[in-house]
Amino acid sequence: MEPNDRLSLHAWANPSSSCNGLPRKMSLENPSFTNFNLQQQEQKWDDTSILNYGIRIEPPFHEFNQASESEYLLSSTCNNQPKVLDQEDGLNNEALQTSKSLDWDPRTMLNNLSFLEQKIHHLQDLVHLIVGRKGQALGGHDQLVTQQQQLITADLTSIIVQLISTAGSLLPSVKHKLSTGPPNGQLGELLFPPLAGMNCVPQPQHGSGSIAVQPQCVTGSKVSDQCNQMDVTGNCGTEQNLSIEEHEMKEEEDADEGENLPPGSYDILQLEKEEILAPHTHFCTICGKGFKRDANLRMHMRGHGDEYKTPAALAKPNKESSSEPVIIKRYSCPFAGCKRNKDHKKFQPLKTILCVKNHYKRTHCDKSYICSRCNTKKFSVMADLKTHEKHCGKDKWLCSCGTTFSRKDKLFGHIALFQGHTPAIPLEETKGPSVSCDKMDGNEASNKSGKHKFQLWLQCW
Amino acid sequence: MSTRSTPILSLLTEDLLIQVNEKLVQDSDRKKWRLICKEFHRVDSLTRKTLRVLHVEFLLTLLKNYTNLHTLDLSVCPRIEDGTISLLLHHVDHSIWARNLKCLNLSRANGLKFAGLEMLVGACKGLESVDVSYCCGFGDREAAAISGCEGLRELRMDKCLGVGDVGLAKIVVGCGRLERLSLKWCMEISDLGVELLCKKCLELKFLDVSYLKVTSESLRSIASLPKLEDLAMVGCPYVNDVGLQFLEIGCPSLQKIDVARCDCVSSSGLSSLIGGHSGLLHIDAGHCFSEVSPTIVKCIQKLKNLNTIIIDGIRVSDTIFQTISSNCNSLIEIGLSKCEGVTNMGIIKLVSGCVNLKIINLTCCRSIANAAISAIAYSCRNLLCLKLESCNMITGKSLEQLGLHCLLLEVLDLTDCCGINDRGLECLYRCSRILCLKLGLCTNISDKGLFYIASSCPELQELDLYRCQNIGDDGLAALSSACKKLRKLNLSYCVEVTDKGTKSLGYLEELSDLELRGLDKITSVGLTALATRCKRLIYLDLKHCEKIDDSGFQALAYYSRNLRQLNLSYCAITDMTLCMLMGNMTRLQDVDLVHLTNVTVEGFELVLRACCVRIKKINIHTV
Repeated sequence: MEPNDRLSLHAWANPSSSCNGLPRKMSLENPSFTNFNLQQQEQKWDDTSILNYGIRIEPPFHEFNQASESEYLLSSTCNNQPKVLDQEDGLNNEALQTSKSLDWDPRTMLNNLSFLEQKIHHLQDLVHLIVGRKGQALGGHDQLVTQQQQLITADLTSIIVQLISTAGSLLPSVKHKLSTGPPNGQLGELLFPPLAGMNCVPQPQHGSGSIAVQPQCVTGSKVSDQCNQMDVTGNCGTEQNLSIEEHEMKEEEDADEGENLPPGSYDILQLEKEEILAPHTHFCTICGKGFKRDANLRMHMRGHGDEYKTPAALAKPNKESSSEPVIIKRYSCPFAGCKRNKDHKKFQPLKTILCVKNHYKRTHCDKSYICSRCNTKKFSVMADLKTHEKHCGKDKWLCSCGTTFSRKDKLFGHIALFQGHTPAIPLEETKGPSVSCDKMDGNEASNKSGKHKFQLWLQCW
Repeated sequence: MSTRSTPILSLLTEDLLIQVNEKLVQDSDRKKWRLICKEFHRVDSLTRKTLRVLHVEFLLTLLKNYTNLHTLDLSVCPRIEDGTISLLLHHVDHSIWARNLKCLNLSRANGLKFAGLEMLVGACKGLESVDVSYCCGFGDREAAAISGCEGLRELRMDKCLGVGDVGLAKIVVGCGRLERLSLKWCMEISDLGVELLCKKCLELKFLDVSYLKVTSESLRSIASLPKLEDLAMVGCPYVNDVGLQFLEIGCPSLQKIDVARCDCVSSSGLSSLIGGHSGLLHIDAGHCFSEVSPTIVKCIQKLKNLNTIIIDGIRVSDTIFQTISSNCNSLIEIGLSKCEGVTNMGIIKLVSGCVNLKIINLTCCRSIANAAISAIAYSCRNLLCLKLESCNMITGKSLEQLGLHCLLLEVLDLTDCCGINDRGLECLYRCSRILCLKLGLCTNISDKGLFYIASSCPELQELDLYRCQNIGDDGLAALSSACKKLRKLNLSYCVEVTDKGTKSLGYLEELSDLELRGLDKITSVGLTALATRCKRLIYLDLKHCEKIDDSGFQALAYYSRNLRQLNLSYCAITDMTLCMLMGNMTRLQDVDLVHLTNVTVEGFELVLRACCVRIKKINIHTV
């Protein structure tokens, strides 16, 4: 999931940045190119598909904003735009229907594929055109060349995304995920940074502009639908690997997405790396012995004299201060450039020291704990290894299609959904998995040792 | 004879012979037919559709001869194994016998494993019905093998203890057209499996989930089955009223429901179920709750078509009989076994309306007296089955009424009715259709009573005389000369019976089940006489027949080759004879060898070695 994530993040970042810079310059410096660009777009809208208009919408919109400043451009864009958007609406509907037909439909698949094919052809034409232009173009149009490159990158990205989403419709849990509504994971935000801006479209100032803007808003919301769908595809991958990649999900759980504290309403603390990685956080001021918990330290302190044995000394500190207005504390990761670092542009603070510790170890440290069963999975946090070990092993619930599940009910849900899929019975065992995975979870270690003992006992006998 | 009949027979063409052959219903008649001549035998093997094999060693030849079989029953074969199957499929051209096979009975075929099953299923492509009940060792792999039968419509898997949700999932995916499925005692199956079943097999008409650890969640899925007609869920301890409420709004075709011994089901749950299905034909709610509530009585009013109601072990009052009598006029069967509160008045009310009753079970309804039975006899002229075990107040007067009016009576259970005597049995002289008569613990019956039975019940197939201590050899002689169709006979603890009586039993050629417990006047002479004549003996109980010595058992070993179940506990048999017995009896599957004082440990070892291939159950607890 992660490489995929990064890929799309990277790919999407480009068009968004180009959107900010490119059209403005285009419209100011090279009106003729804008026209060409629009033509290209119009041509594209015909065959555009679910996901690429997320990017393509941007240029006309910015142009429109520009248009409010320059009368000349307003006329030129507003003539084209409503048409374009109408078409786009139609396509949206179609696209939505495609995405809503939840079960895999070969016809939809075929449509998608032919879309892709056409798009690749168009891109080919475009590149040809650029090649031809390059010959004609006089030097000094470096800016234009990079813009073209960015355009092509954007198109390519959209093709890739389309391909992924098409493939995603084949994955088992799409249906389930779609019905659960918009996910609040950060994935969507990561994938679609420009779209967030689109949802809060500035209100039109011109009467004539409202025609164009109205559909734009609609589009915006639909695009966010798409973004959900995109997220779904991402999540599918996650679900598939859930049993293995659990700790990665955990990291995201630690994130306090929903909190949205306004900056400045809390104190930011940043522990140093050594502090974070130190095994003990509470040290005795007298002998220097370290402890994991303050309570343990207080118990230890009793040994240093009677003054530490008073109820006041043994009581939890800060109890009485709770009546005072508590300043909310949030934590920053000491790793420069990390999103959890306070200097990051989109800084997201960590809630507790434990979060800091887990985050730092998971993200910025070596994974030194290796699972002794599979010998492949590595972890930097002991708890993650333990969680993994619970699920690691032969008691996977396996479908005849090769998909594995950590739980029996998940497997049965999968089988109920697909024609002809059956649970696979492991070859080794003669009785089949009579003991369910859930039962094994807690007692496995003890079971194991029990078996061992039993064997020993047999040998003695 | 053959020389004379040949010209006549040669006139009959093959298709005429086939038509005649098809008219033969009884097995014994067909056997005679087969023995007439080769041509007849050939016709029989051509037309024969069903085959029940007793000896596995003949299976190969039989399958070669009978090529048009639809049904193959291997349930009484002692040991079917994977090797047997591969032999059958490779030595006999399997496309011939397996091609037309539709029904396969592999009940108790514990030796079969998934490899053999897979071969079998692969060869029999047309299978529609498979019975693997009581194959306790079957698990998910065996279920997976069965799932290869795509056209399967009926599957019985009672007590396949290893089959879990995974196995069931295999079957429901592989056999989507299942119509009848029994999962009784498949204890590993849970709600998950049942849920999947109900999603995939929408053609289900009959489903048995008795004794499973399923909860009401399963009933939620079962309620979605559109064609379900018959649901049995006996003894499901986790199913409660919530589940029955799901059924109330689901299963539009439901006709039969069996919720007996579901401890968490109350009368309100049952009434909600009945409320949703006014077309119900069959209700079994025995031992479900303690008392019939007024709400249930109200609901029963709507069941105009009800055929069967069984409310064993539930306290009843006369009102329910009044309600049933005035509303359910087509009632055929009522079960009131161990119901408290059944009175003469109640029964009289019941039969005044339900004159079509054919089966009445009044077991342990102790306050029932002659008045009720007279009313039954007078109203229900079509009565077939009447069970009156432990109705102590019944006397000969009841039998008099029954003998007058119920001429169709087939089953009469009078066990432990001490009021019954020889005079009473005399009154049954018009009930010539009686097939089954149970007189156990009726200590007042003597040989005279047996004379009456022998003269009035020529069709008798089953007779229970357990602890009828006044019965002697003369009665048995009369019985064996008249009731030639007798198959089951219980003479346990009829202590007066001697070798003479046992000898006369030898004339009962159809006898298959015989219990002779505690008859200490019987010796080897009697047993030998019996063994030489009763070739069909399948079950023999000789517990505490301590006078029989080795020579008798040797005769048994020599002649009674069809024995399947044998009890020799407390007998005087010795090592050598026991070994011979166990080695010779190729069909024996279940033996009791408790307290054999003359058998040594080494003897037991030899015995076990001699029979371990075939025996499925052996009881050799010794002190």
